[in-house]
Amino acid sequence: MNSSDDDFEAELRALGESLHVPPPPGDMSARVLAALEEPKPRFTTKRLVAVVAAFLVVLVAATPQGRAAVAEVLRFAGVEIEVGTSGPLPSGSPSPLPSETSAALAEARRMVAFPLVVPAALGEPGQVRVADGGQVVSMYWDGVRLDQYDGTLRDVWNKQLGEPFPQPARVGDLAAMWIPQKHGIEYLPKGGGRPVSLRLAGPTLIWQSGGVGLRLEGVATLDEATRIAASVR
Amino acid sequence: MNADDPLTDDDAVGRALSGDLGAYETLVSRYTAIAHRTAFLLGAGNEAEDVVQEAFVKAYRHLRSFRRDSAFRPWLLRIVANETHNATRSRGRRADLSVRLEGVREPSGPEDPQDTAVAGDRSARLLAAVRALPDREREAVVCRYFLQLSEAETAEVLGCPVGSVKSRTHRGLRRLREEVDRELL
Repeated sequence: MNSSDDDFEAELRALGESLHVPPPPGDMSARVLAALEEPKPRFTTKRLVAVVAAFLVVLVAATPQGRAAVAEVLRFAGVEIEVGTSGPLPSGSPSPLPSETSAALAEARRMVAFPLVVPAALGEPGQVRVADGGQVVSMYWDGVRLDQYDGTLRDVWNKQLGEPFPQPARVGDLAAMWIPQKHGIEYLPKGGGRPVSLRLAGPTLIWQSGGVGLRLEGVATLDEATRIAASVR
Repeated sequence: MNADDPLTDDDAVGRALSGDLGAYETLVSRYTAIAHRTAFLLGAGNEAEDVVQEAFVKAYRHLRSFRRDSAFRPWLLRIVANETHNATRSRGRRADLSVRLEGVREPSGPEDPQDTAVAGDRSARLLAAVRALPDREREAVVCRYFLQLSEAETAEVLGCPVGSVKSRTHRGLRRLREEVDRELL
């Protein structure tokens, strides 16, 4: 070697200092603050279940009053929840889920890769629909709807909420979340692509059992919703 | 940090954790330059600004996972490095390689044209050699010398043990010297 290591390292440092690098953006603070105050963009929806769990911790710790100015994105049981934004709620006629078809319960069980449950408290569903290539199964009773979906690998639903924040709850020993107010809901199709704006959803209880996410919609009180949820078989 | 800006990183992190966005803004201002330089030199190219913005947003959202007894800067730069990887990966492998250090040029000529030409020639060869290094060695060399991070910081940013930083840097330096010295003969 014809120069010392130190000299060569110094030469590299000097080269680094001489490099032409574009100037840093001057408005980064404003950009970051604006991004933090906006709802989280939809394209960051590929999350593994580990991330879902990580965000659950944030949810429990980060919902004190006075945080309304900060958009919080909660992920729970396959649901991405945007909190603290008060975007316009969807209105008009509800859209169906992608490629939604009616099926008998036994038939639906064969069509999906996850175990389907039925709440004993509600009895046999009046109607069963399978959507998006077996990704979601919706069961209907009078005014009540239970969605079951593969909740492990990604966020399936996207909800937009203003205050109040969703309320942590329990279904037996499973963590759950209760959304008492009406909220917009979107479905993020399995193959990617644009979220499907579905409808204005009523009070909803969300929980996760094994790899399956469940959302029970249309029951007015948390007590009643958890009673029904705890009765699934 | 300057005298007008007495908030320490740890203070700022603590306040940001309790919802004070202004305190987080202090951290953003403080580290935008190094974050941007890191993103650019690790290959983010013209996406460096977006990468840095996304890194600051993610850092804020994951602030609870930051260990308060460690330094904020390398933790942030690791997020920047990861976002840079995401950005370059989404461009595809070929673009990934060709865009490395794209746009990095020597400044145009000061003083003695003769000296400048010679020095410039050597710098250009050295830079070309850095560009041609295997990914891991190049990243280590960029962190250690172009960003002037310590070995420990480099290890955190690249997500590898300090021993790997040492060996990657060592191999990278040896390769660079061989390239540059060979061409001088």
